[in-house]
Amino acid sequence: MNYPIWIVPQIGGPWVIGIIAIIHIFLSHFAVGGGAFLAVAEWLAYKRNDSRLYDYVKSHSRFFILVTTVAGASTGVAIWFSISLVSPDGTASLIQSFTLAWALEYLFFVGELATAFAYYYSWDKISKENHLLLAKWYFAMSVMTLAVINGILTFMLTPGRWVETRYWLDGVLNETYLPSLVIRLLIMFAIAGMYALVTATRIKDEELRVYVVKFCAKWLLPVFFLGPIASFWYLSQVPQVTLETIFTGIQSSGVGNFSVLARALYLSLVFSGTIIVFAYFGPYLNPKGFTFKIALLFMLCGFIATGSTEWMREMLRKPYVVYNYMYSNGIRKSQVEELREKGFLTQAKWANATNPVKTDTTCGEKLFQYQCMACHTVDGYRSMKRLIGERDEDSIVSFLKMMDPKNKENPYKGIMPPFAGTENEAKMLAKYLAGINKTNN
Amino acid sequence: MFFGKREKRKLLYWFERRLHASPLIELALHKKVPVHKHSVWYYFGGISMLLLMVQFVTGILLMVYYVPELGSAHASILKINSSIEFGWFIRSLHSWGANLMILAVFVHFFSTYFMKAYRKPRELTWLSGVLLLVLCLGFGFTGYLLPWDEVSFFATKIGLDISSKTPFIGELVALMLRGGHNIGQATLSRFFAIHVAVLPVMLMGLLSLHLAIVQAHGMSAPKEFNETPEDKKEYEPFFPDFFLKDILVWILAGNLLFVLTMLCPWGIGPEADPFAPAPIGIKPEWYFLAMFQFLKLIPPMVGPMEGELFGVLLMGVYALALALVPLWDTGESEARSKLATALGVVTLLFMVIFSAWGAMS
Repeated sequence: MNYPIWIVPQIGGPWVIGIIAIIHIFLSHFAVGGGAFLAVAEWLAYKRNDSRLYDYVKSHSRFFILVTTVAGASTGVAIWFSISLVSPDGTASLIQSFTLAWALEYLFFVGELATAFAYYYSWDKISKENHLLLAKWYFAMSVMTLAVINGILTFMLTPGRWVETRYWLDGVLNETYLPSLVIRLLIMFAIAGMYALVTATRIKDEELRVYVVKFCAKWLLPVFFLGPIASFWYLSQVPQVTLETIFTGIQSSGVGNFSVLARALYLSLVFSGTIIVFAYFGPYLNPKGFTFKIALLFMLCGFIATGSTEWMREMLRKPYVVYNYMYSNGIRKSQVEELREKGFLTQAKWANATNPVKTDTTCGEKLFQYQCMACHTVDGYRSMKRLIGERDEDSIVSFLKMMDPKNKENPYKGIMPPFAGTENEAKMLAKYLAGINKTNN
Repeated sequence: MFFGKREKRKLLYWFERRLHASPLIELALHKKVPVHKHSVWYYFGGISMLLLMVQFVTGILLMVYYVPELGSAHASILKINSSIEFGWFIRSLHSWGANLMILAVFVHFFSTYFMKAYRKPRELTWLSGVLLLVLCLGFGFTGYLLPWDEVSFFATKIGLDISSKTPFIGELVALMLRGGHNIGQATLSRFFAIHVAVLPVMLMGLLSLHLAIVQAHGMSAPKEFNETPEDKKEYEPFFPDFFLKDILVWILAGNLLFVLTMLCPWGIGPEADPFAPAPIGIKPEWYFLAMFQFLKLIPPMVGPMEGELFGVLLMGVYALALALVPLWDTGESEARSKLATALGVVTLLFMVIFSAWGAMS
């Protein structure tokens, strides 16, 4: 509320973050799992005394370095740009609360980059043992960056004791920290196998290709056996209200209400299941027939599975950006009462500064931009034009009143944040919303 | 794991004495698939089969709750969608599966057509395939009415009115399907019986024949492959190589079906009111849309003939020419071969353009 708002038409700001984040996650998970893959594959080449396998690992490392350091790093920076533009309050809160954690993460990231380049540029230049040691160091560094980032990501759903103590380690080492770390590591190994399948299917020597393709498929085994257990562990730690939202979503999927979270869960389950079955019937049972094109298709499945799983994870904490602390629109839970008494527009500095005319409609539009646009657009994703339909001002005001935080019967409780403003502001917002289907047609 | 080699052999022998399946196993083991740049089209027959299985399973599950009675049909679908655990999921699988199956059958139809797979000795494979496509469209037409909602009611009404224009038999067939002059309980009962009993029996028989002939003749290959010297031809064994790839394609097709089901569950419109005026813009399902759009373009009278009758006749003759293509394009005449290809291209373009036009208008 104290920063400029970034209006992204049609898809809305959150999807800008979402698209960049999903690409980044698919790359960064490869950066961690791929480190383990390089270390194991190189060790295997030495153990088998197989120069052909050694050459493959060497060429795969070039692909690895290019993908992770160029695409991975640039999408990482893009995430920072997008989150600070779309959710400046949330970003500021994360930076202020976890300054030391970010510093640590940066330290490990620099270590990760240094060992990655040292590893790539020292092929055939240092001893086998030292080269392998570099791979292990790289993996250790990348796991440490994961360990820190995982703490901050899980904090957003389960802030743990941080809510009372405000101590950063209490936030990082929260309830879902460990199960999430295990799940991510398992997924990283699977993703490493998927990326490696792309390079493995390009091997010309058929015997080696068959061997490496089958070897790559085995990297999906850990997630196959341990993934369901880790997922149950994770779900057992998420807030009960969130679980109830999932079950409500499943029950009402056919009617179409409240089921976005459930659908994200279904998609995640279907694509994850597909990957496992695909890996078994494809590269594992039929490595000879597993071609480069199929490997790319397989990776696309992996990308969609990652996307839907991350989407589901994001949906789990709705309507918060930091669970039980800050709503998706950047308003802190503790601020709501004060804003309902004193008014939102009197407190929101930037909203006031950018609204010189101050009619009911322009004030309503500002309220919409600051309180609704974190999830809705005017006529695109979660379109307000569509959702408002024929509703008039009175029915919109009633709807806003229903979202009172004290109203226990509010069916949108776990889905939408309460309206944080005075009754008069609610009327202004209603006036603006009731008019969007008329004025913008 | 549980049996040693000796026990396994004994068990196999036990089955062999009773089933005499070894010739079939031999056939499967020796079956080979030509490898060429058009091999990808071979998968669509398998995809159609997989989706057909989905239709059978989900159809049986839906029958548990669906009531084919005028006052209850719509309510029972509403119940399936909203109260029955995962009822929406099964129904959406069935509805999306039906559409995907028809799409896969169309792709299979056109791919075999353009690969000239209908030529000697595969004429009967082609004809049985064409009949299977007609049966699939029959499934779509009869199943569409069953939810008894506004759109399905009027779309069926229009469909039956058009089909009644078919010369000689049209009126009689429409009368039999409707069970009278108006769509009502008799129509619903008949459509239900045809959808769940008549068509499945016909389909199973015809499909068995189709598959048996395919096995007997082996996979057809395009002209370029057949003209390649024998020592340069590449094949892969059906078991396990092609079959394992088939499974991968099935997984992807299943995946697409699940995604559509979950992201866009199949809804239901308001209950049909036979006495209400037809809503504006009623259209049939997408696979009848091209024909519907074509009929809309024909003037009320073409010479002395009624426009719709003329349209139906024209499309009938055209479809017959396509269905009987193995009889006039035997591969001996280059000109006829080119004509057959041109006819196929025109048909495909007609279907795509007219369907899109119909959907947008």
